[in-house]
Amino acid sequence: MDIGGLLKELLLEDKVLIHFDFMNGFFDINRSIVLSWGVIAVLTLLILFLTSNMKVHDISTKQAVAELIVEKLRGITYGMLGDEGLRYRDYMVVVLVFIGASNLVGLFGQTPPTMDLNVTAALSLMSIVLVEAAGIKKKGTRKWLKSFAEPMAIITPMNILELAIRPLSLCMRLFGNIIGATVIMELLKMVVPIIVPAAFSLYFDIFDGLIQAYVFVFLTSLYIKEAVE
Amino acid sequence: MLNVSVMNIVWTVINLLVLYLVFRLFLFKRVDAVLQARRDEIEHAKDSVLEKEREAEKLKEDYSAKLRDADKECEELINKSKQEGYDEYDRIVTEAKDKAEQIIVEARHNAQIEAQKEKDAYVSELTDLVVRAANKIAVSKHDEESDKELYNKFIFEAIEKSK
Repeated sequence: MDIGGLLKELLLEDKVLIHFDFMNGFFDINRSIVLSWGVIAVLTLLILFLTSNMKVHDISTKQAVAELIVEKLRGITYGMLGDEGLRYRDYMVVVLVFIGASNLVGLFGQTPPTMDLNVTAALSLMSIVLVEAAGIKKKGTRKWLKSFAEPMAIITPMNILELAIRPLSLCMRLFGNIIGATVIMELLKMVVPIIVPAAFSLYFDIFDGLIQAYVFVFLTSLYIKEAVE
Repeated sequence: MLNVSVMNIVWTVINLLVLYLVFRLFLFKRVDAVLQARRDEIEHAKDSVLEKEREAEKLKEDYSAKLRDADKECEELINKSKQEGYDEYDRIVTEAKDKAEQIIVEARHNAQIEAQKEKDAYVSELTDLVVRAANKIAVSKHDEESDKELYNKFIFEAIEKSK
């Protein structure tokens, strides 16, 4: 068993899929980006299929499914955001679906886009921007700036540090969990090639992926809720 | 493994925004439109039901008011006819009383006239009797005895007549 080789292959693989030959590869596009395009395309097609020909009465099954999905997902994010953050629930639904769908890509033999640090970094960047924007929108710039000195002036540096720590922890948590799950799955496949990996795949590819999506959205919602209070 | 590429972060941000737009345009907006239409319909139905209820309430009130009016009118009519009946009764009774009085007066008057007539007849008969008696006395010879007898006869006849 060449565990070291496996890890090397998994962690140090060249992620670049589309290479542009100028500016020293600045515009290179990673595999994860292309994969998330695929995820977005599939989700878009699914949505278009579900919401085509919507009616008020005598609804079809697919419309009922669409309504159920919207209600349930909004229910989840509304439960986390509360009334104050009502306007952000739709975005949180999108993030939840995107991360969940991305993590499930592993089921189809692809490496999940969330295994690329750039993707999780972008997600957490969006989250922290949204959190601070929500805070500014709710309190106004002056009050938002003042809120860094709360509850005591002495912890102002901590609060400022949090601006960086929060997205970093979000980013690393998601990235680490997904890459950890993938590594464990690969090792399992090396040790027991049949049957056992299938059972563990249920946990690592489906359950863990969805849990991580939920955790990411839950924490972001928590921050937003804190910001708009 | 941990190489961060700005361009890829930007791409992911764009991806997310695109996905958000897709969700918003094709999922949330459509579903919201349907839900809103349904809510509006329910609201509309509720409004019209309330409106109908109000109308029914009003009609009911109108009818009960009309019914009350009809009751009142009915009572008035009954009272009026009762009053008329009493008036008629009074009028008839008064008339009858008047008539009866008149009849009594007439009867009394007639009786008086009758009595006068009888009295007159009696007086004239008495006069005749006196005249006849005087004639008899004058014709017949007369002494004390016959005078006395004649006188008694006359008294007797007069009494007999007056009976």
